[in-house]
Amino acid sequence: MRGAWLIMKKELLELSKDRRTLFFTFAMPLILYPVIFGVMGKMSMRDEADRKSRPSRVYLVDPGSVLAPALQADPKDFQIVAAPEGGLSKALRDKKLEMALEVPASASEDLKAQRTLALTATINRAEDDSQLALKRLNDLLKTQDKTWVDTRLQALNASPQLAEPSKVEVKNAADLALELGKSLGIWIPYIILISMFSSVMGHGSSMTAGERERGTLMSLLSTRISRGQIALGKLMALFALGALSVVSNVAGSAIGFNMLGHDIAAQSAATGAPATTSLLQMASPSTLGLTLLLLVPVSLVMVAFVMTVGIRAKSQREAATALMPGMFVIIMLGVFSMAPGIEKMSIIPFVPIINASVAIREMFGQQFNWVHYLLALGINTTAAIAFTALATKTLNREDVLFKS
Amino acid sequence: MIQLRDVHKSFDVRDKRTRKKMRVDAVRGISLNVEPGEIYGLLGPNGAGKTTTLRMIAGLMKPDQGSIEVCGLDTRTRGEDVRGKLAYLATDMQVYERFTPREQLRLFGEMQGVEAATAERRGMHLLERLRLSDFADVKMNTFSTGQKQKVNIARALLHDPKAVIFDEPTTGLDVLTAKTVLDLLQLMKSEGRAVIVCTHAMPMAEDICDRVGIIFDGKLHGDAPPRDLLRARHARSLDEVFFQLAGESEAAIA
Repeated sequence: MRGAWLIMKKELLELSKDRRTLFFTFAMPLILYPVIFGVMGKMSMRDEADRKSRPSRVYLVDPGSVLAPALQADPKDFQIVAAPEGGLSKALRDKKLEMALEVPASASEDLKAQRTLALTATINRAEDDSQLALKRLNDLLKTQDKTWVDTRLQALNASPQLAEPSKVEVKNAADLALELGKSLGIWIPYIILISMFSSVMGHGSSMTAGERERGTLMSLLSTRISRGQIALGKLMALFALGALSVVSNVAGSAIGFNMLGHDIAAQSAATGAPATTSLLQMASPSTLGLTLLLLVPVSLVMVAFVMTVGIRAKSQREAATALMPGMFVIIMLGVFSMAPGIEKMSIIPFVPIINASVAIREMFGQQFNWVHYLLALGINTTAAIAFTALATKTLNREDVLFKS
Repeated sequence: MIQLRDVHKSFDVRDKRTRKKMRVDAVRGISLNVEPGEIYGLLGPNGAGKTTTLRMIAGLMKPDQGSIEVCGLDTRTRGEDVRGKLAYLATDMQVYERFTPREQLRLFGEMQGVEAATAERRGMHLLERLRLSDFADVKMNTFSTGQKQKVNIARALLHDPKAVIFDEPTTGLDVLTAKTVLDLLQLMKSEGRAVIVCTHAMPMAEDICDRVGIIFDGKLHGDAPPRDLLRARHARSLDEVFFQLAGESEAAIA
């Protein structure tokens, strides 16, 4: 093992002198995620708040003046505008207005005859402002409909509750932490898998094909350290780098999410909605600990795969090209693991990597399943051992080491 | 000290045009001995099998047939121990450019089983001898080819090996640096080490080698002191012997 430790020490020492790589691997996620979540989140919320503060511009055709008074009575939500030039579709596309509302000429008679009033609302579904205008119209019509129905029922001397035979009161059994944890649990495995593999891929290419390309592999092989120890040392170094990269990415996400959480909390407080919680509140120490334990064999699978492919390549570029399919597989597995209902497929607990992803999701969603977890741990550990053996065997092959 | 007995080595290669696999016999029945305190020159054209032979001696490759022993250790079964007693330096070996010479020597010393402080001390001594001690703490990405080669030589000798194999030790070096390296080889010989030098520089081989062997098509020819070889072949230089052997080899193939 001493040989393996020395090789690991060599790799980490070499990396420690590459400040640029260190920055992009470990420091960048701590800056990037808070920027993404924090700044973009703030921008998104500001945009949302700004949209809600502006009234929706509506071109209203209402010959009988049936809805016009209701819209005019709510200047906070509606602003009636003149007929647009160049046509309705163009005006909606060019964001000159948010909605066109047509009330039929027979509206008054329809209401008197207790016929359903058929309105035509034209919006641009691709625009959030237009969607908001429609939502405001539906809210207004809900209130207006109740008024009309109550009036009709009063005229019939009937109870207002005649129009509401049943009512559903929704009580949420999940606390906000559970809801957010469930959402986060879908994303966290994806972030972890992608960040781990991309970090391992880059460093792994450098440690294998890169070492051959730089002409230092032969120096290592000519020492008394066995090839098995050299392979193990590189695996250990790569694993350490992958693990640190994951920590950095998850920490960056946590910081960003907390920044966003504070803004949401401030907004929630103003509207009276429940406050958000931090990542640590959503995931208990045991959840985080079990997640990290499960990630050990998963990262070893990736590390050993990268080394096996990398050592066969003549250059780093060749290694990176050969590893790209692996990256696509990881992305696909990550996306697949986010699909709703995936955990119900009977084969999933037996598929390496994806079973770990689903187990992590279940843990964050507070639906921990011991069987799924132990299967994921066992299967990924077996895969890690197999790939490690393959990587070591590959490093021992003369036709691989001395290919020209 | 270094003993090869009827060593054979073949490789499978693929003909890119016909896509057929071919078996290439790189080394065909080579036997030689190198004693302590002797410099043995291994000469031959490109692709003759020199590097393959040296890699087998260094325990990096295993022979298909025959045996190789270094200091009484079989390279096939005791490869790691062989590399602990032997120094192998090839032209395609580079330094770790992000390290300083001191860092690299300390690390490789530890890899060869030398305690860190001892490795550093020996390394500094070797750098002094190679006139590189002023640059011991400078990152090697700024070093010239000659400077890097000196560090590699120091790295190879750090663990006080009993046998030394140098593949093209003076390639790419200026005259002064090349002389330093040759003086070092003589010093190693005087210290009782067995030295194998692989080179294309025939005059150098004539000057410093106690015996030379010329490899052609994987076979060893003329395993003798240079003077004896010249006399036997009625040649004035090893270049002439080389051309004679090349001609004989082509005639044999034809």
